[in-house]
Amino acid sequence: MEKTSRRESIPLDISEQDIIEAMKAIQGYLDITPGDFRQVYQAAYTLAIERLFNTLTAVDLMTSPVLQVDQDMNLIEAAGLLAEKQVSGAPVIDSNKKIVGVVSEKDFLGEMGVGGKPSFMQMVSHCLHNDESCMIGRLHRRSVGEIMTKPPVTGLPEMTISAISSLFVARKINRLPIIDNSGLTVGIVTRTDLAHTYSVFDEEE
Amino acid sequence: MNYLQKMKGSGQSPPKVRLIEVLWSWIGSFLGIAAVSLIHYNILDRSGLAMIIGSFGASAVLIYGAIRSPLAQPRNLIGGHVLSAIIGVTAFKLFGQQPWLAASIAVSTSIALMHLTKTLHPPGGATALIAVIGSDSIHNLGYLYVLMPAALGAFVMLLIALVVNNIPKNRRYPEFWW
Repeated sequence: MEKTSRRESIPLDISEQDIIEAMKAIQGYLDITPGDFRQVYQAAYTLAIERLFNTLTAVDLMTSPVLQVDQDMNLIEAAGLLAEKQVSGAPVIDSNKKIVGVVSEKDFLGEMGVGGKPSFMQMVSHCLHNDESCMIGRLHRRSVGEIMTKPPVTGLPEMTISAISSLFVARKINRLPIIDNSGLTVGIVTRTDLAHTYSVFDEEE
Repeated sequence: MNYLQKMKGSGQSPPKVRLIEVLWSWIGSFLGIAAVSLIHYNILDRSGLAMIIGSFGASAVLIYGAIRSPLAQPRNLIGGHVLSAIIGVTAFKLFGQQPWLAASIAVSTSIALMHLTKTLHPPGGATALIAVIGSDSIHNLGYLYVLMPAALGAFVMLLIALVVNNIPKNRRYPEFWW
């Protein structure tokens, strides 16, 4: 069900006025009413989107190689690394390089006692109200493994965009590490990568 | 949308074409009809044969005035006239004693056949009708009506369409042959 509603929300609406303007720009008598053209256009566009969503896979979108952090890394070092690489989250690995979790801004904020739905604004609000319990100090001496979200939600390289977006919505996640058969992380797909799909679509046209 | 609401029409009329399009439509149709009628009046008429039938006026609208239309493509032009002519002559031969029946069978059956063969060409309906309601000289042609005027006339008009419609830079004909 979720899939359908997402597809329907794709903005493929062109107005009859748009079509009339386009028809004016094309010389010659076009033997179709703007309404009929619109119907054909919408059906064709939906098919094109379907095709796109079902042919592009994780491999086409993912960022690779991925910044990965060790579960034993302390939070200060991890925060520095994420900041330096300008990413808001990363897969967490054990000593065998196998993925064991995902750590993100949310996990840091959660650890700082910001509350149930951690966000940057939540933290600002929290710290302004309670100077005392604004405990960034809590992050000292903790390791990534302690605060990471686990088990990680992961995907396989052959997953379609369609499946990936459904998973993002269903699991309320923002990034999906892509792992190979041996459990090693080969890439990561973020919501931003998904957004870029639409520009891939434009290029194809 | 209920039955009566449908009758109001909810769509919009397509835009008017540019003046240059009007001009080329005029030139093409003038030359196309000139070609078939010159042959008709100067060569064939005395021998009781025909080259022009009323439905060619309608074909001219399409193949010179709406050249992008699927209805105006060679397959439709030739196929529509030929198939409809066969149906028309056959209807007259079978039901000629009841002209109303022959006429209605001719038109309705030719529309069905054109649809089934992807050769829908509105003037074909007229070609079928003329085979029934036409003059004695048309009736005397028998199945020759299919070949001449229907096929040959349509073919001459097609030649003119190919020549004229491809002269302007922004016009091309046909969209497809078959």
